[in-house]
Amino acid sequence: MRAIDVTRTAVGNTLRSKLRTFFTVLAIVVGAFTLALTMGIGAGVGKFVDNVASDYGQLDQMFVSAAPEADADSDSELTEYDPQARQDAGEGDFFRDMMAGGALDDDDITTLEQIDGVTEVYPVLSVQTEYVETSASDAYELQEIGFPSISDAMHLTAGEVATAGETEMTIPEKWLEAFGLEEAEANSVVGEVVDLGVPNAIGGVETVEVTISGVSQEAISGVGGTPMPSMSLYQHIYDLNQHGLEQTPDPVYVQAIVDVENLEENEQAIKADLEEAGYQGITAEDQMGQIQGLIDAVTWVIGGFGLIALLAASFGIVNTLLMSVQERTREIGLMKALGLSRARVFSLFSAEAIMLGIMGAAIGIAGGVLTGVIGNRILTDGPLSDVVGLTLYEVAPVPLLMVVALILIIAFIAGTLPAWRAAKKDPIEALRYE
Amino acid sequence: MSTSVIDTEVPVLQTENVGKTYGRGPARFHALKGLSCEIDHGESVAVIGKSGSGKSTLMHVLALLDRPSSGTVCLEGEQVNDLKPQHISTLRNETFGFIFQQFFLNPNQTVLENVTLPLKIAGVGRSERNRRGMEVLRQLEMDSKAKNKATDLSGGQKQRVCIARALISNPTVIFADEPTGNLDSATSETVEDILFGLHAHHGITLVIVTHDEDLAAKCQRRLIMQDGEILSEEPGAHTAVNNSEGGAA
Repeated sequence: MRAIDVTRTAVGNTLRSKLRTFFTVLAIVVGAFTLALTMGIGAGVGKFVDNVASDYGQLDQMFVSAAPEADADSDSELTEYDPQARQDAGEGDFFRDMMAGGALDDDDITTLEQIDGVTEVYPVLSVQTEYVETSASDAYELQEIGFPSISDAMHLTAGEVATAGETEMTIPEKWLEAFGLEEAEANSVVGEVVDLGVPNAIGGVETVEVTISGVSQEAISGVGGTPMPSMSLYQHIYDLNQHGLEQTPDPVYVQAIVDVENLEENEQAIKADLEEAGYQGITAEDQMGQIQGLIDAVTWVIGGFGLIALLAASFGIVNTLLMSVQERTREIGLMKALGLSRARVFSLFSAEAIMLGIMGAAIGIAGGVLTGVIGNRILTDGPLSDVVGLTLYEVAPVPLLMVVALILIIAFIAGTLPAWRAAKKDPIEALRYE
Repeated sequence: MSTSVIDTEVPVLQTENVGKTYGRGPARFHALKGLSCEIDHGESVAVIGKSGSGKSTLMHVLALLDRPSSGTVCLEGEQVNDLKPQHISTLRNETFGFIFQQFFLNPNQTVLENVTLPLKIAGVGRSERNRRGMEVLRQLEMDSKAKNKATDLSGGQKQRVCIARALISNPTVIFADEPTGNLDSATSETVEDILFGLHAHHGITLVIVTHDEDLAAKCQRRLIMQDGEILSEEPGAHTAVNNSEGGAA
């Protein structure tokens, strides 16, 4: 018997008792659907996390802070209160206590600059701003501005990144409202001058005239979500913050952002060097890795349920085919009498099992993909539309093909017992069977 | 051997001292007890006997559906006992046609699909199958029913479809197990005429297992079986119609 005839016969036989086939296939569909959905969610969210990570990752940057003190992470033991030690710690250690990683000073920056592979160190100063006033409006409160080291990671919808050395900044799309503009009119805000209110050390507010150089889109990473000054403007704001003090204190940096040469290649070496010098460096990918890990865990758990559903479905296949073999005993007997070999009888029923698998996989995966794509659209256009670039579901061909392969393998294995039973039937006995 | 239509020296089927036992110990049952016979090319042979006489077992052994417990079976002079199952399957497919009392037609398939089953098993392509299927159905005047489901036919029509199925692979031997057992006498007559027509005009060897005296009488030779042995062998047929023996009902 030709392979094509085996296939055709198997198809014909599966369609013979449609209701039974329907329910057997339905069980496979449940498993295939679940797996197709979870695989797609894993891929979609994974892609999104990757995108976010690459917002930072493309910058070849690392976030460096002082390594946590040895006893900082041994939170299993209680530390006895010692007022003397508290006093000894001094003022400079206030930030150290606040930040898990600890703060840095100018000496640290010098040390960082000397580490192999580090090309540029941006000490992160903490600056304060008060308000922004446009020609078209009253003043708006401004509590947070971005740190210029990541300006290159922003998605700009108009204009350009603030030029170093100029008193410029970009504004996020949401600030267009302050100019009475729609998002589509972003271009017309470029070049506008705003007054930036900056508090000084003695309670006054000083203003700086700042030119808008561009408009940024906010990504899930937060990049582009705040006004982003040029480095020199940032420094200027810091200086204004110190105005009025008789003696300018040594600056304390929350952390340092370092540009490194070819992050991908040198990541481990630089991390090791930093650790040795008493710092810890983490990449954007490290941060996103935690989110990815959580999503992966959820995906695997749901995927596990899909696998269990498939396992249950495989017993359905066994059951259906055993019945089919029983019902068709005489037909099998006849075919064997007419010269069909054992191997072919086996392949006939195996093919039937695989047919059930194909039907279940096709319907389940089509359903899963459709649900994923539609669900993704509804959620990202609706309740989650604020998150730029969010993908909850991505059609992932390779994992889907793996699901198909898995289902076919399971179906084949499930089919072996009934197929073997059919193959070993004695034609004489089978033809006598009533 | 009595009358040979084809002048072939070697018998198409030959058994030597063939025994077949079922079961073990006290339940042991000898279905065939060292039986030897020859069937020549182009012969028509009836195997008759009571139920349990071993006639069906003999047919199964001759048709290579069953392996004898002892003795040898030869097809065209070649011993086939020790051939691999797959080889035997192929031999059966190419050499034999089968007609059964219960027809064994697949009710879900069309007449044409039923008829072409042996060719499908042999691995013949679909268009070639259908062409030959229609040819053989035309020969049996069943071509108008080719697209009908097998269940829509009368008993006689069903048996004609079965004959078509047995005929389609141009077999050397057709084995018929009670071919008229489920048919009324008029229909039986037609089916018998077809079978003996094939025998006469195409030189096909017929091996018919039957209770039916009239049918057996039309064969050239009759093997009368009892208790797993050939009790007697009679020339038959058109020469000696009025016989008195046999265990037929």
